[in-house]
Amino acid sequence: MELIQQAYDLLMTAAVVILAVLIILSIIRSILGPGISDRIIAVNMIGTMIIMITAVFSVWLKENYLADVCLIYAMISFLGVVVLCKVYTGVYLQRKHMKADLGAIEDNLSRQNREGLDEKEVQP
Amino acid sequence: MTGEWIRFVLAALCMALGLVFMISAVFGVNRFHHALNRMHAAALGDTLGILFVILSLIIMKGFSMDSLKLSMVIVFFWVASPVSGHMISRLEAMTDERLGEISVLEKNNGIRVQMDDQASMIREVSDKKRKKKKGGKNR
Repeated sequence: MELIQQAYDLLMTAAVVILAVLIILSIIRSILGPGISDRIIAVNMIGTMIIMITAVFSVWLKENYLADVCLIYAMISFLGVVVLCKVYTGVYLQRKHMKADLGAIEDNLSRQNREGLDEKEVQP
Repeated sequence: MTGEWIRFVLAALCMALGLVFMISAVFGVNRFHHALNRMHAAALGDTLGILFVILSLIIMKGFSMDSLKLSMVIVFFWVASPVSGHMISRLEAMTDERLGEISVLEKNNGIRVQMDDQASMIREVSDKKRKKKKGGKNR
């Protein structure tokens, strides 16, 4: 009985340590990632691995409420990813429209200048 | 006693399989160069990794209320993960300006090409293809 308990402890320790190393690698990717979607992908993976670690702890420490924590964390992580995607889609569209509006203002100004020149040419 | 050991070996196998999937997912996310390829690696690895890790925990615990909660985590994650993956890839497809370029890596007579050279080479190849298509239409 002692031996099998030691084996379970070894298995859990190895799983938690490997998941912690993977979380550090994902954090590095979320800092380095060139685009915003790369960062969101890395953050999503970090959330998944934290769910796994919480589930492992709930069995290892025999704390049963950690399973509920796990479920709630999954829901909040999903909500966070959806909100980030919506927000960055909105930011991109707003920037695009602002660019289009600035272009329209420039076109309008240049056309007005040209019309003014034409009027000046016509007047004499 | 042997039953306990069989259960431990099954749980350890499932845990090792899930960890291998997670390791390959993180390797793919760090290794690929485009966001949609990263999306592919991350979504597949996440789904299978969480399935096998929590399956091994359920095998360890046996049937009880807590293992039902853990299986609820799997069910919820399998419903939610494709949706979030779809949202991320839609964000990428909307904001990436150069998404339509074909990114096939061609071997340059066995010479390994650096990444910047690869990007310029891809652009040249896609430009040639476009010109060929346009020329064919004009003729």
